[in-house]
Amino acid sequence: MPKFILQLDRESLRQWLPLVTLVLLVTLVGVFQPSFLRPSTLLQLASDTAVLFVLATGVTFVIMLGGIDLSIQSMASLASVIVALTVARLGYGSFVLAIAIGVVAGLASGLAHVLLKIPSFIATLAMSGVLASSALVLSKERSITLGELDRGYQTWITGTVYGLPNVIIIGFIVLVIAHILQSQTRFGRYSAAIGAGEPAAYASGVKVDRQKVYAYILSAGFAALAGVVLAGRLASGSPTLAAEMLLPSIAAVVVGGTAITGGVGSIWRTLIGALIITVVRIGMTFLGVNIFAQNIVFGAVLIGAVAITIDRSKIPIVK
Amino acid sequence: MSTPSAEPVLALVGVDKRFPGVHALKNVSIEIGRGEVVGLIGENGAGKSTLMKILSGVYQPDSGEIRIAGQPTTLANAADANGKGIGMVFQEQSLLTNLTVGENIYLGNEAQFTRYGVIDWRALYAAAARQLEKVEVNVDPRMRSDYLSFAARQMVELAKALTLEEHAAGHLVILLDEPTSVLERAEIDVLFARVRSLKSRASFIFVSHRLDEVLELSDRIYVMKDGAVVADLKTADANVTKLHQVMVGRSLQTEYYREPLQKPFREEVVLESEGLSFGHAYQDVSFNLRAGEILGIAGVIGSGREELTRTLSGFTPHDAGRLLISGREVRLTSPAEAVDFGIGYIPRERRVEGLVLFLPVAANITLADLASLTSYGLIDSRQERKLAATWVERLNVRTPSINTLCLNLSGGNQQKVVLAKWLNAKARILILDHPTRGLDVGAKEEVYELVRAVTTEGVAVILTSDTLEETIGLSHSLLVMRDGRITHRTAANPGSKPRQIDLIQHMV
Repeated sequence: MPKFILQLDRESLRQWLPLVTLVLLVTLVGVFQPSFLRPSTLLQLASDTAVLFVLATGVTFVIMLGGIDLSIQSMASLASVIVALTVARLGYGSFVLAIAIGVVAGLASGLAHVLLKIPSFIATLAMSGVLASSALVLSKERSITLGELDRGYQTWITGTVYGLPNVIIIGFIVLVIAHILQSQTRFGRYSAAIGAGEPAAYASGVKVDRQKVYAYILSAGFAALAGVVLAGRLASGSPTLAAEMLLPSIAAVVVGGTAITGGVGSIWRTLIGALIITVVRIGMTFLGVNIFAQNIVFGAVLIGAVAITIDRSKIPIVK
Repeated sequence: MSTPSAEPVLALVGVDKRFPGVHALKNVSIEIGRGEVVGLIGENGAGKSTLMKILSGVYQPDSGEIRIAGQPTTLANAADANGKGIGMVFQEQSLLTNLTVGENIYLGNEAQFTRYGVIDWRALYAAAARQLEKVEVNVDPRMRSDYLSFAARQMVELAKALTLEEHAAGHLVILLDEPTSVLERAEIDVLFARVRSLKSRASFIFVSHRLDEVLELSDRIYVMKDGAVVADLKTADANVTKLHQVMVGRSLQTEYYREPLQKPFREEVVLESEGLSFGHAYQDVSFNLRAGEILGIAGVIGSGREELTRTLSGFTPHDAGRLLISGREVRLTSPAEAVDFGIGYIPRERRVEGLVLFLPVAANITLADLASLTSYGLIDSRQERKLAATWVERLNVRTPSINTLCLNLSGGNQQKVVLAKWLNAKARILILDHPTRGLDVGAKEEVYELVRAVTTEGVAVILTSDTLEETIGLSHSLLVMRDGRITHRTAANPGSKPRQIDLIQHMV
């Protein structure tokens, strides 16, 4: 690597590299495929990003305080199954039910993590298994297509307002709420403090365990919301609806510049990261890359992003 | 012992080392002769640890030279230092307790017993047994090291260091870093006897806080102060008093600890401890702390004073006795609870427990009291910046801005941020756990001045300190602890402060 790149200070790299990457990628795809830059295509891009962004936003809260949530894709799939099974009977209540189940699952993961002192990746990996199997059992291993009547309840997801897809508005509302939570509340500040220096946060009187549980609740809750939105867009619920979304979600968080070790990050960065992932995905489609090969790229991107952003002076030993 | 004609086995020439905000070693030159035991003493922060880390390859000097047998060399890392004949016996014992004694002795050097990737355990344990014979300790090399006493572990570490004889070029130099801190007197005698008998095999650098032991074991003594070597004394010419004087570098100045600023404390009792006990750590501790009082607790490692401060700051609740804060009985089960009762903890591990290094100055200052900045769930960030700027100015924190990460501040300024955090949280009781550790003289004086200022406003302070001098100089009242119990109480009013020797007799 040339010397001047090494001299670039890591912090400004983490700050600006994601945005620069996004602009470059959009320009690049636009040059090869001018139709990509049409407003309608860009709106489609934003709509396609929304679910990934909601999923990634939830897990951002956990990553900020130095943990990880591996159960988000199972949670999203389960939420889609719950909606598909109950929307005929409960109407809008099915969405509330799905998100409430997310909150309970997050609470369970969080409590297992802080009370039993189980590493977060184990607690949420186990939770992921529980949720995935629940989705399989409840759906009798089938994909459940929403009936014509049920779809009436989905217009808040599938409709448009003055030509703007509702799903983009949902993504925007999530952005605003999550951004305020992360940057303007005590929870957000404590999360950053715990991620950057847990012993000091604890010694300063921060109720560390409580903040952690909040983060897991948010993560699973947002994952359930993502599942609800996905079910609406695809007009179906399935135990594998959100399969293959865990890797892109975590890649989105890290590519955006949130440190996988915690302490540094923001929801804005996750938005940029999610957009990058979507542009790469669409770009690959344009280039004719097999859709099933995409996670090869995201896996490589994740490793690359962590390698660039990780601060080795802070963590001499990585396990 | 070392005569000018004899080539020193190991020498440092004009070594300098700086860390952000601290000049840790200033033009340090030392030399160690063949078969010599050299003592190295100094207060905490004098630069001993940095010097040892340079000799063991952990740090590289900024300038100056390391010479082995007269030849300039570098010590790139611990393995390199080992290869060049420098062994270490650490203060915090470095044996892995889940491995056997033999495995520990040859940890990282198993290659000599390995054929086709498989270790010949019989050969390894036989060799380990021979190493243990060198230090004359009767331990089965196949025993797991957590079954050993501390004294036996120390001997095993020594045996481990001596394995360097087999593959290091040249004469051995073994660094003994506070090897006696956890040993009983009889065990110390054995250790010293071994060191003396090993002088034919190796030279030693002996670092210790216990001046009498340094005098007992060393041939020659280097005294460090504020990063420089200030004296090189033959043991025959030294005694405890003299060493202490050189080490402290000044006759006790009342000015240094701002004694003229020591105001009488108030009547109001803010904290009462009645027969407070915790396991084997401390028992039956009773005292009163009044508003504006600085209560110093003196004691050696193992006296229980460290555990007592951890209880008072909420980390480990007491299991017997009563603790009253402002007349209300409490049992503190977390620092969060202690903070709610107006207690602020200023830890010795400033960079771990004191500050979130990767957060800005402002966020650290407000961390313990964000609640008062929050309305309708949102932090008022304008108010926060204003508050942080006020504290930075009041405490004269030298920082480029309130948005600077605490990581980039010097030790003294970091400590001021910790203090600002608790003052901002309106703490009524401050627990100062070695508050000036690692600070240079100027920064120390600023901390003393601030502590005086807050007590004048009625804040009560419990102080444990690295040096007796600091404890005595700052405190209104003194407790001495030994083996978990209070052995002595005395007032320490300006002009009639007790002497160190008055306290030492109750400490050991």
